[in-house]
Amino acid sequence: MSNSVISVISRFLEEYTTTTPNKLKVVDSYLFYILLTGALQFLYCLLVGTFPFNSFLSGFISCVGAFILGVCLRIQINPQNKGDFLSISPERAFADFLFAHTVLHLVVMNFIG
Amino acid sequence: MYWLFGLFVLSLALAGAQALTPAHYLSLPDVARLQNLLSQQFTGLDSAYYSVVGLSKLGATIPDHEVRRICQFLKSQLDPMSIDSLFFAAETSQAISGCEIPVSNETRDILLAAVSEDSTMTQIHRAVSALSSLGLPLASQEVVGALTGRINKEDNVMAGGGVQGAWHYSTAARLSQQTELGGILEEIEDLTARLDDLGGIYLQFEEGLEATALFVTAAYSLSDHVDMEPPLKEDQVIQLVNSIFSKKSWDSLAEAFSVASAAAALSNNRFHVPVIVSALGPATVSHSQPTLQLLVTDVMSQPLALANVLVESAYSVASKSVILSHASFTLNDGVFELNFMSSRPASGYYQFAVAVTGDTRLVGNHVELKVKVSTEVVVNNMDLSVVDKDQSIGTKTTRVDYPSKGKSSFTADSHQNFAMAFQLVDVNTGVELTPHQTFVKLHNQKTGQEVVFVAEPDSKNLYKFELDIGERKSEFNSISGTYSLHLIVGDATLENPILWNVADVVLKFVDEEAPVAIQPKTLYVPKPEIQHLFREPEKKPPTVVSNTFTALILSPLLLLLILWLKLGANISNFSFTPSTILFHVGHAAMLGLMYVYWTHLNMFQTLKYLAIIGSVTFLAGNRMLAQIAVKRYVP
Repeated sequence: MSNSVISVISRFLEEYTTTTPNKLKVVDSYLFYILLTGALQFLYCLLVGTFPFNSFLSGFISCVGAFILGVCLRIQINPQNKGDFLSISPERAFADFLFAHTVLHLVVMNFIG
Repeated sequence: MYWLFGLFVLSLALAGAQALTPAHYLSLPDVARLQNLLSQQFTGLDSAYYSVVGLSKLGATIPDHEVRRICQFLKSQLDPMSIDSLFFAAETSQAISGCEIPVSNETRDILLAAVSEDSTMTQIHRAVSALSSLGLPLASQEVVGALTGRINKEDNVMAGGGVQGAWHYSTAARLSQQTELGGILEEIEDLTARLDDLGGIYLQFEEGLEATALFVTAAYSLSDHVDMEPPLKEDQVIQLVNSIFSKKSWDSLAEAFSVASAAAALSNNRFHVPVIVSALGPATVSHSQPTLQLLVTDVMSQPLALANVLVESAYSVASKSVILSHASFTLNDGVFELNFMSSRPASGYYQFAVAVTGDTRLVGNHVELKVKVSTEVVVNNMDLSVVDKDQSIGTKTTRVDYPSKGKSSFTADSHQNFAMAFQLVDVNTGVELTPHQTFVKLHNQKTGQEVVFVAEPDSKNLYKFELDIGERKSEFNSISGTYSLHLIVGDATLENPILWNVADVVLKFVDEEAPVAIQPKTLYVPKPEIQHLFREPEKKPPTVVSNTFTALILSPLLLLLILWLKLGANISNFSFTPSTILFHVGHAAMLGLMYVYWTHLNMFQTLKYLAIIGSVTFLAGNRMLAQIAVKRYVP
């Protein structure tokens, strides 16, 4: 059982490193970073307590929001998805990414207290 | 609904109107006070006039030596040229006998000259009065002519109407009886129409008490002179009496004189004599005092010579049954008496309708009186018992006789009831009574606490009181101990209210609190102070922990940089075009603004700056991305 899991994972990693273009890998590493940050924040909350709750929420939501926006960006700039996003160029996707982030940061900063 | 109420008010008003009796009069102390005021030292001829004539009207006699002194005073103060002076001197000398004022021809001429329509009404009155008092001839027709001429000339008859009228009628009253004066008498009716009606009780002139009193005096003097009844209705006479005699202290000698004149006029004229009926002392009868005594006088508290007083009807206020009908009072030494107790009335209040007859002149001679019949009460058949609640143990009834106290004390606890039964009986008639106040009081001898209950009569007028000890323990604060039991009986018609210590009762309560002295009222004592508890800040984790986690959070950033380096991410494509630089600067500025927002600004300011920086960044970014896109484009 574990054998097949390991083999699936190794196969997946191999495929990933070979087939994914570099740009996407950059975005993926960014996403991984965001994920780690969010997880660590959650861990802190579990361990130490929810005080101050608003700060925890804003931090966590910031991570979650950034992750989602990053995923959107990755989808939109993936050349394999080009057929789905004919009118949106990668630059346009990046501009949207920046604008959405501005709004997200505004909200987070308001809530962080 | 509303018309019923209106009808009720109307009937009340009518009832009031029909039974109008004088509310104010001069009692004997009032007459004495008036006489006192009028007996002061003279300051001039006018005060001499008011004093002497006023006192004579009240029926006071002036001693001889005083007469001589007054006569001297008059002669010395007289100014033969002044009409007022002549009037005062002449009138005063008339009131005291044996005083002659010397008269000269000049005096007479001056007085006669004053009788014309050019003089004021007051002057005409004074001149005519002086002429008649001094015994000088007077032409009546001339006077009448002057009077009517004067009235026609008066522009403002409205102001001072009462006083003018008074002088008018007084003057007319001095004229010879052959003169045609009936017309003037009828004018009185016009003037009475100008009296102000205050609440249906008072009738007076706007100018005040003096004018009203002078008017009344003059009206009756004229009507007596002409021997015709003045056009004043009975109710109006009573209202005038109320107005004139309601004031018991007088501002000036002239006012006192006017009241004295009115009192004399109303007690002694040929047509209307208001009657005052009052009870001597409180209007109460009882077995010890069975006679109701009434004083029947005129307005000056002088007893009426011919009067018969009888009770038209007397009915009980409670039961509305008529006890007495057409019984007359007997005159006993100036007081009218009636033995009411001989009719055997039960105790309570009675409404008497009394009528005074014997003189056709009497006004206000139907009077309503409220008479109280009081009695003495005695407590009979006082039975005390302690009854078990479940009635299993037989009751033991102890009889206690009033006014002694029960020999043994009674013990009762929460399983028992304490019962009392008694009768309240009228001593004289043996009838059972139900007084207003029948209370049972239990007084704790140690703590001073008193608990009061009401005893109620049953249908047979037997009083019963039951104390359920278990149920009532909260009223006693569950304090066991010896309580003294008192019976309290009282009523307005009882002459002997009762406070009787019947017996002692020992009460035993279950779960008793330690007997604490009763704090009378702890409501107004300062309460314990409340300390405000500020909101305690929440427990914060130790700084070490938070610092550790801060470092931990920042570590993935390091990881990211390493990963990017490994991937070969670079900024080699960075072109130093203005738009690129501007974009990056603007973007950095936006991030910086976020930090500043967190530390200093509020949302509105941030949005303002964001708008500015954002639009710049947007334009630059747009340009930059377009350039990148163009570069990337591979046709």
